[in-house]
Amino acid sequence: MEVFLAQLINGLALGSIYVLLVTGFNLMILVARIIQFAYPQFVVLSMYACWEVLRLTNNVFLAVFACISTSIVLNILSEPIFRRITNMKGIDINASFVASLGIAIVITDIMSHSLNYGFPIAFPTSWVEGSLARFGLIMISKGQLYALAGSIIAVLLFFYLLYRTKQGRLFRAIAENRFAARLIGIPIVKTSIFSYFIAGLLGGFIAILLSLLLGSASPWLGEFVALKILAVSIVAGLGNLRGGLVCGLCLGVTEAMAMGYLSGSWSNVVSFVIMLIIILIKPQGLFGTSIS
Amino acid sequence: MKKKNNILKIENLSVTYGPIKALRKANLEVNEGEVVALIGANGAGKTSLLKAILNIEKPNGKILFLGKDIISKSTDNIVASGICLIPEGHVIFSSMTVFENLQLGAYHNSYDFDKNLEKVFAYFPILQERSSQIAGTLSGGEQQMLSIGRGLMSNPKLIMIDEPSLGLAPKIVADIFEILSELNEEGYTILLAEQNAKKALECAHRGYVLETGRFILQGTSRELMNNQKARRVYLGGSV
Ligand SMILES: Nc1ncnc2c1ncn2[C@@H]1O[C@H](COP(=O)(O)OP(=O)(O)OP(=O)(O)O)[C@@H](O)[C@H]1O
Ligand SMILES: [Mg+2]
Repeated sequence: MEVFLAQLINGLALGSIYVLLVTGFNLMILVARIIQFAYPQFVVLSMYACWEVLRLTNNVFLAVFACISTSIVLNILSEPIFRRITNMKGIDINASFVASLGIAIVITDIMSHSLNYGFPIAFPTSWVEGSLARFGLIMISKGQLYALAGSIIAVLLFFYLLYRTKQGRLFRAIAENRFAARLIGIPIVKTSIFSYFIAGLLGGFIAILLSLLLGSASPWLGEFVALKILAVSIVAGLGNLRGGLVCGLCLGVTEAMAMGYLSGSWSNVVSFVIMLIIILIKPQGLFGTSIS
Repeated sequence: MKKKNNILKIENLSVTYGPIKALRKANLEVNEGEVVALIGANGAGKTSLLKAILNIEKPNGKILFLGKDIISKSTDNIVASGICLIPEGHVIFSSMTVFENLQLGAYHNSYDFDKNLEKVFAYFPILQERSSQIAGTLSGGEQQMLSIGRGLMSNPKLIMIDEPSLGLAPKIVADIFEILSELNEEGYTILLAEQNAKKALECAHRGYVLETGRFILQGTSRELMNNQKARRVYLGGSV
C-alpha cells in the first residue's frame, strides 16, 4: 500500500509534466498546423539556460526569467522556418515533423558537444532539495509538490485562455476551420505567431517545474521525452487537448507503477507496449482526432 | 435616376488553378444600394470570382473597392475594410456555440458589437433563442442564417453571398431571399452568386451571366429574364 501511494504521487507529478508538454505540443498542431517534435528539446535547452544563470548569479529570479525567455525566444525563432514549410503548396503536416526532427537532433548535438562539456547538468541542492512531508515510507518532495500544483495552475490558466478569452476563441476558430477563420478576417499568421508565444511561455514554465522535479537534465532528455509526448498525443488523438490531459497523467502513473513493482528499468517497455496495444485497437486515438 | 456611387469595380480579372482557367478577364461593377446577381451553372467560376475578391485565391487584374485597389491586400485587411463573404455550404464553426460564432464574425468590428447583435437577432430571432446551442446541431437552414448573421456582425459595406439556396427546402430559400431583400432595403449592397437564376433575378436589380469563366451577358434583371439566350440556357424557359 505504501509503495502504491508513493508511486501514485510520483506518477501524478511526472504525469502532470507530460500533460503540460502534450498540451503545448497539441496547441502547435491545432493552431500552427505543425508537429513540433523539438518542443521538449526547447524545454530542456531552457533548463540549461536556467541552470547556467543560476550557476553564474545564484539569483533565482534571474534564473526563472532566463528560463522562460529562452523558451519563448526559441519557439518564436522557429516560427518562420515552419511557416515557410507549411506555406509550400502540396506539403502536409508531416513535412513539419521532419523539420522539427532535424531541429531536435541539432539541439541534442549542441548540448552533448558544447554545453557543460556534454555532461548532464545538476541543479544546486538549494534549488531542489527538501521534503515537505513524510508518512512512513511515503515522502512528498518539494519538486513533486511544485510539479503538481504548478501543472494544475498552468492547465487551468491555459484552458481559461482558450475558452474564456477573445484570443482563445481565435485559436479555436483556426483549429476548427482554417478556411472559415480566414474568411471572416482572422489574421492567421499573427494569431499563429501568438500561439508560438503561448507555447514558449508554457515551455519555460515546464522547464522550471521539470528542473525542480528531476533536479538534473542531460542532452538526451529532450529526445527521450519527445518520443513519449508524440506517442501520448497520438494515443490520445492528435490535437485532442482533453485526451492529452487524461493520457499524459496515465502515462506518468503507469511508468511510476512499473518502476515501483517491476525490477530494473521496465517502465518504458510497459508504457510503450500499452500504447502499442491501444493504437492497434483504436488507430484514431482514444479520444479521436480532427487532424487528417 | 441619380448616379450611384461605385462600391466595387472589377477589371480584367482572371483566376487560374494550374492549367485550369476558372475566370478569364472578367469585368463587373456593383453600385451602392444595389443587389447584383452572378448567375452561372456548376463550375462557371462564381465561387472563384468571390474568393478572388477576398484574395483567398490569388487573382490577376484589378479590383477597386471604394475606389482603392485591393488586389494585393491580405484577406484580413480586405475583410477589415468592409467586405464580407458568406460562403457556399454552411461554413460555420460547428463545435462552438451560436453566440461564439457571432462573436467571431465581429472580429473587425467589436466596438459596436451590441448594436450589430441586436440587428442580427432582429433579422433572425431563432439565433437569439439558440444562442448557447452548439452550432453544429442547428438545422441546415438555421446554419445558413447563422452564416449570414455572422457576416452581418462585421457591419460590412458589401455583402457577397455564395449560393444561399444550396441544399435548402423551397420554403427556407424563400425566407432567405426575403431577408436579402430586406437587408437591401435597409441599405446593404449585395453581390449574390446563384445557380437558381429565377430566384436570384427576382431579388436583384442587375445581373451577370457567367459561362466557363466568361461573362456572356449582363443587364438589368428584367432584361436578363426576357433575354432568349439566358432563358434557354439558365432559366429553362420557365420564367
Ligand atoms: N482549388 C481548385 N483547384 C483546381 N480547380 C478548381 C479549384 N477551385 C475551383 N476549380 C475549378 O474552377 C472552375 C470554377 O469553379 P467555381 O467553384 O468557381 O465554380 P462555381 O461557379 O462556383 O460552381 P458551383 O455552382 O458548382 O459552385 C471549375 O472548373 C472548378 O473545377
Ligand atoms: Mg460555387
